[in-house]
Amino acid sequence: MVEDCLSKFVQEQLWNQVPVAIALIDRDFRISEINSAFKEQYGGGVGRPCYEVYKGRKSRCKNCAAAKSFSDGKTRVREEKGRIDEGEQRYYIVHMIPLRQPDGHIPCIVEMSTDITLTKQLEHDKIEAERLAAVGQTVAGLAHGIKNVLMGLEGGMYVMRSGMDRSDEERIKRGCQMLEDNVARISTFVKEFLQFARGHTPKVKLTDPNKIAQKVYDMFYQKAAMAGIGLKLNLQEKIAMAMMDEMGILDCVSNLVSNALDACEISDKPGRSVSLSTLDEHGALVIEVADDGVGMDYEVKKKVFTNFFSTKGSDKGTGLGLLTTSKIVQEHGGKVSVESEPGKGSVFRLVFPRDRLPTMHKKEEG
Amino acid sequence: MTDSNEGRKKILVIDDEPSVVIYLETLLQDNGYNTISASNGNDGMEKALEHHPDLICLDITMPEKSGVSFYRDIRKNEETKDIPVVIVTAVTYYGGDPEPFKNFLSSRHIVPAPDAFFPKPIDKKEFISKINELLA
Repeated sequence: MVEDCLSKFVQEQLWNQVPVAIALIDRDFRISEINSAFKEQYGGGVGRPCYEVYKGRKSRCKNCAAAKSFSDGKTRVREEKGRIDEGEQRYYIVHMIPLRQPDGHIPCIVEMSTDITLTKQLEHDKIEAERLAAVGQTVAGLAHGIKNVLMGLEGGMYVMRSGMDRSDEERIKRGCQMLEDNVARISTFVKEFLQFARGHTPKVKLTDPNKIAQKVYDMFYQKAAMAGIGLKLNLQEKIAMAMMDEMGILDCVSNLVSNALDACEISDKPGRSVSLSTLDEHGALVIEVADDGVGMDYEVKKKVFTNFFSTKGSDKGTGLGLLTTSKIVQEHGGKVSVESEPGKGSVFRLVFPRDRLPTMHKKEEG
Repeated sequence: MTDSNEGRKKILVIDDEPSVVIYLETLLQDNGYNTISASNGNDGMEKALEHHPDLICLDITMPEKSGVSFYRDIRKNEETKDIPVVIVTAVTYYGGDPEPFKNFLSSRHIVPAPDAFFPKPIDKKEFISKINELLA
């Protein structure tokens, strides 16, 4: 009795009321059955090839997942780009489940596709909003940087004038030096600011994250050794490749390692060290830089991603490094997180959820 | 840089920007004060305890120990809690209005707000007039 009810529910209600487009694909890759949601989304399609209905193609897709499931009997889940409706690309999560007969033969595949175009759009909007927030922060940061330089310039003029009033040559020279230093700082700011503000689309390709970490390690190993700081490399074996802008991420990791070495250099603890690690964690690629240097207090930690904020003094940092890092990581759909405690050290993590990593540009696809 | 004219009141300038330190020290010396300086909060704390300045000019964003931590610590220390503190900073929080920032500095740690707040670049006349008033 219950089985009959369940069967009726599945056939009549679930099949036609579930908000997921379901189709049965036969061994000729033709659609043999569809539910209401499929009919609504694709306007029908029974008897037509799946590739034609789903993608508007004239031949089977390269890497056809249904063909693989027919051959190995495994269920597959893939994110697929679908047809373009009124100029808008549609995205789907497609589950391919082989229907197996008692003798093991697979006569058809059940394809269930959920339209995730809206989710994709929201995700894109969120990344865009984060980018705009970074631009706003940039403007505020620029004002902060300029104020400091302006104060230095005014100071230079004051000290010079005060020296002239007293015929104090030493003071005049000091004022001149202040003017020169701050004019030089403006040049550096402008150069780095333009570099930061320039529109940049990551040039992504399949990249080995361990290769990036190894390159950064090679770049800094000697510098660390000379400063008496241990630099350790912990690479997760056989870590999956990722779609990344190799040079961009290399810059980010270099920034973090360089900062970590600076934090160790000003710490007087013995046995200081910096470790650079790669790992896969909860569907995300993580690149981590940990140091046991001076660490940061709450106020500094809050401002590390604000541009022109630097704790390294005007001769060493422009305060753009971590902001640029944050921007590049955001362009990869990722996030930078930081844990730090004064006197104990800091851990910076670049976290790239693998499903948010950029996809290949059209022109690069072929 | 230290001016050793005896009898003059002593001001501690804390800022990590060398140009700002030279500027403020020169300006204060020209206006009849002795000065000492520090480049971060830790250094500043040591100097404050050692020299007992009559007033402190304090920057906010500094390495190692920020001006915020320094301010809260100095206000909680019996030896230093009554020294007037003048904030000189380029921070642009709260759209440049100093009041919320002064409240932020004091509220969470239940310490009094700073005595004055000057955004960088400072207005020299106003700055000196405020210092004179606080040290009168």
